[in-house]
Formats: sequence, C-alpha cells, structure tokens
Amino acid sequence: MHILDTEGLTRRFPTVTALDGLTVTTGPGVTGLVGANGAGKSTLIKILLGLLPPTSGSARVLGLDVTTKGAQIRGLVGYMPEHECLPPDVSATELVVHLARMSGLPRTAARERAADVLRHVGLAEERYRAVGGYSTGMKQRVKLAQALVHDPKLIFLDEPTNGLDPRGRDEMLTLIRRIGTEFGISVLVTSHLLGELERICDHVIVIDGGRLLRSSAIADFTQTTQSVTVEVDEGTGALAERLTQLGHGVTPHGRMLLVQVGGPETLDAIRDAAADLDLCLIRLEQGRHRIEDVFKDEAAHV
Amino acid sequence: MSEIYDIGYRHYDGPRLGRGHATRALTVHTLRGVFGLGRTARGKIVPFGLVAIMLLPAIVSIAMMALLGQRGLSYSSFAVVMQAVVAIFLAAQAPTAVAPDLRFRVLPLYLSRPVTITEYVTAKVVAMTAALFALVAVPLTLMYVGELLVDLDGPPATKEYLGALATGLLLALLLSSFGLALASFTPRRGLGVASVITVYLLSSASVPIVYAMLESSGNDAAARWAWLLNPFWLVDAVQAWLFGSVPNADGDGYPAGPVSGVLVVALIAAALAALALRYRKAASR
Repeated sequence: MHILDTEGLTRRFPTVTALDGLTVTTGPGVTGLVGANGAGKSTLIKILLGLLPPTSGSARVLGLDVTTKGAQIRGLVGYMPEHECLPPDVSATELVVHLARMSGLPRTAARERAADVLRHVGLAEERYRAVGGYSTGMKQRVKLAQALVHDPKLIFLDEPTNGLDPRGRDEMLTLIRRIGTEFGISVLVTSHLLGELERICDHVIVIDGGRLLRSSAIADFTQTTQSVTVEVDEGTGALAERLTQLGHGVTPHGRMLLVQVGGPETLDAIRDAAADLDLCLIRLEQGRHRIEDVFKDEAAHV
Repeated sequence: MSEIYDIGYRHYDGPRLGRGHATRALTVHTLRGVFGLGRTARGKIVPFGLVAIMLLPAIVSIAMMALLGQRGLSYSSFAVVMQAVVAIFLAAQAPTAVAPDLRFRVLPLYLSRPVTITEYVTAKVVAMTAALFALVAVPLTLMYVGELLVDLDGPPATKEYLGALATGLLLALLLSSFGLALASFTPRRGLGVASVITVYLLSSASVPIVYAMLESSGNDAAARWAWLLNPFWLVDAVQAWLFGSVPNADGDGYPAGPVSGVLVVALIAAALAALALRYRKAASR
C-alpha cells in the first residue's frame, strides 16, 4: 500500500514555482524528504494535509485525494510544524489534551492518550509546568507529542531536529526511528541534513527547486562501493606511487587514499606494498556511499 | 529512574468524534481561557474582579427592594449603566481568546486537524459571546430572583427581564464580534487591549460631542441619531423598539423604527466578515 503518492504535482505562487511536476510514491516506514531551504518541502506537506490546493497534478495520502478528502486525511495524519507553535501560558498536558480533543477524542481518552504520549516522548513531571519555561528540546518533544496524540497512521515532521544540541538531536532521531518501527506509524520527516536521515530512514526522497532529484530505498544510496580507503601514518605519496605502478586505480582523498578494488589481490597488494615500504598502516576500510555524495553527484547533473 | 516498567506504545481504537465535538471542545476551552480557568491565578483576577463589580448593583438593588420596597436599577437600563465595566471586560479578555493563537502561531496545530477555519472562528465568537452574555445575564437573573423572593407590590417585571436578557445576547454578539476582530488584527495582547478600549472610548466620547453640536444648531431630530454611535445605546435603541422599554438616552430618545436593529445586524455582519478575512489570510501563511 502506498502511504502517499503524487502525480505531476505542481504548485505555483505569484512569484515562484514551489513544486514543479513532482511524481513520487512512498510505502510504509520512515521516509526522509531532503532538500535545501526553499526546495518545496513545506509546500508539499501543506498540500498533503489538504490545506493548500495544487495548481495542477494530484496527490493522495493513505489513498485519499488531498483536494476532496482533506478533513478525513487530517483526522488520520499528525503534523509537527517547523516553527515554534506553542502558547507559553499553558502546561504541556493541558495543551496536548486539548489538541487530542480537537482531533475528535472524547475527554477521558484524550487525557489517557496525552499522558501516554508525553511519557513516550520523554516528558516527566515538567509536563504540568507552563510551556513558556521549557528548553528548546522539551518544546520539540511537546510538538511531537501533539502530532502523535490521536494515534495517527502517518505523521509529517517538518525539521524536527531544528535548534537541538547534538545530544537532543540524537534522542529525537532515535525517537523518530522508534515511531516508525515500534509504534508502527509511518513517518515523513524533512531535513536539510542528509547525515541524519541516513540513520533513521528506510527511503529517501531528494527534491530541489520543486523537482524530484531522486527517490529510492536507503540501501541504494549507501550500498558498498568497489573501493577501499587506505590510511597510513607517513609516506602516503610513496604508497600511491607503488600501487599505481602495480596497475591499481588510486585517488588521493585528503590524508587517505581511495583504491579501486579489482578483487582480493588488490587488498593483498596494498598489504604487501605497505610492508615493503615499511609503512604504518592505520586503516583499511570498505568504502560506502553516503547520501551526501549521491546528492552532490545528482545535483551536479541538473 | 522513575520508569519501572515500559508497557510500550498502545494504539487508540476508541471512538473518533466529528468536527461538531471538536468545535464544542474549542468553545469550552476558549470560554475557560476568557475567565482564566486552567491558567495562573493572575489570569483570574481581572475577569472575576469585573464579574464581582457587575454583581454589586444587583445586590444593592435587591437590598433596596427588600428594605425600601422600591426598585433600584431597572432591568432594561442595567447594561447601559454598567457599560464601562462590560467594555473593560471585553477589552481585557477578547485578546486572550484570539491573540495567543496568532502571535505564537498555534493556528497551524488546529488547521492540521479536521476542524476548518470557519469552525475555529465560530467557536471563538460563540465563546466570547457566551462570556459577555453571562457577565450581563447573571446579575440580571440575580435581581429577578431577588424580586420574586422579596415579592414587591404588583406583578414582577418578567417581560422587561426577558427583554433585557434577549438584548443582552444581541449586545454580547455585537461586542464580541467587534472585540475579536480588533484583537485579531493586533496579535500582541497589550495592543489588542488598547485598541478595543480606544474604539470604545472614541465611540462613547463622540456621542455627547455630536449630540451637542447638532442640538445647538437646532437640529434636534438629527441629534437623536448621535446615540447610535455607542454600541450600548445602539442596542438599547433596539430594546426600546422591540420590547417597548424606556429609553436610557436623555432627551427625546432614539430615532424611531427598526433602523437601530438594521444597524446592529449590519455591524455584526461587517465584524464577522472582517474576522473571516483576517483568518483566511492567517490560514494561508
């Protein structure tokens, strides 16, 4: 089943085209939506929530058309905005209970769900205090809790790690991964930091200037490559020279060397060369694509 | 750690109620906010202080009926006499109903749920109207119950009481739609308070000025129109027209006929349209 699919989705504003013929589908699990600021991520989420009509093309969320079934979609979907959106003078509990009721939960159920969800996002006693005194990390957790409180089938998280310190970022990413796996709720998470998504996503969509650059499973992005990274203490130049003489493809990469692997004999050759030259071999590592590299390559072609 | 056991995530498979339920929940939430319930103690001082002030004349009136055997304040004049208190309540509390959601950008959290912007605005107007109506109706009802208990000579003024209640509801709707529109255009709470009170003071102050100007130029008939510049006298004119109550205006009363009623309806429509426009713009951001 498709969690969301779009077909030639286009949205023009008077001065800019935010989305330009976007056709993409995603299945269940955690999907990353990557793009620079202004790439059209937030516009896409607004359209998927049925809050902004597309100029042309169509989009469906959980099989429901966004232009006609907006209210129904918003009942099944949770949304965590990018910007600050919490009133400072109410407590987290009061706010989350209220928003649960706005999603149609009866009063008692709303209280139980709010308590459950606030515990899951890691807010303890402080949930009874006014939100105004919270740290950025705690505010992000409240924003996440309100998106989860009505037990949606799918949640849209717009830049959930914005403004967090490294530890808070780690905790937020772990939580998002848990939502996608343990909780069984599909996630569409946007970010402009590719490294983050590598860790938590099953699938990544890359958009730029409102166009689709790439959409594929995370494994395709980060599959092993036919190269090894070699790092030696000193004498990098000498090693590179020796390996080139032996007919191996070598590219310097900072203090390290990237060596094309033809087969097991390449690894033997590196070992022997290092031993012959009496070099101190620090690292011999299987090369892996990082999403960033793919993104750079693809962007270069556009 | 305080977590002794973790039962894991539980899905919710209970009932999901419709948009009507959500709209009612928002109305009650807003109404609680207007009276500072569920907020800090500081938020309760102003609304409940003003409610207490509104109750004072009712208590004095009951005392007069019991001790002197005569009516103090008439039902039909209550709102006009107490207008400054009602206006302060509107100015102080209308911004609490709409300003935080705009200023702190809470609106997207509502709009990403099934409720529409129309239902959101409706809930806000209904809540503020209910708050203002309660502010006027509770003392009126207290006075009426007092009158029944004291058992004055002659029949109780039931018709006048019911007329005052109906007029109070109309007044509440007019004031809340205007107050919320003004407050929604000035999302900072302090500015909202100032703008509502300024508009009230201007409308109040203009009455005697315009009246005196027209009267001194010998235009007595036109001078009567000056009363309609103030919302409280405007609604009192509707009361006089609909229920035949004694006008609270000095001199020879209000312009005759349904003109005041038409004016009230037009003003309410204009304020609601302004609110709708304001929120359509806020929703598209």
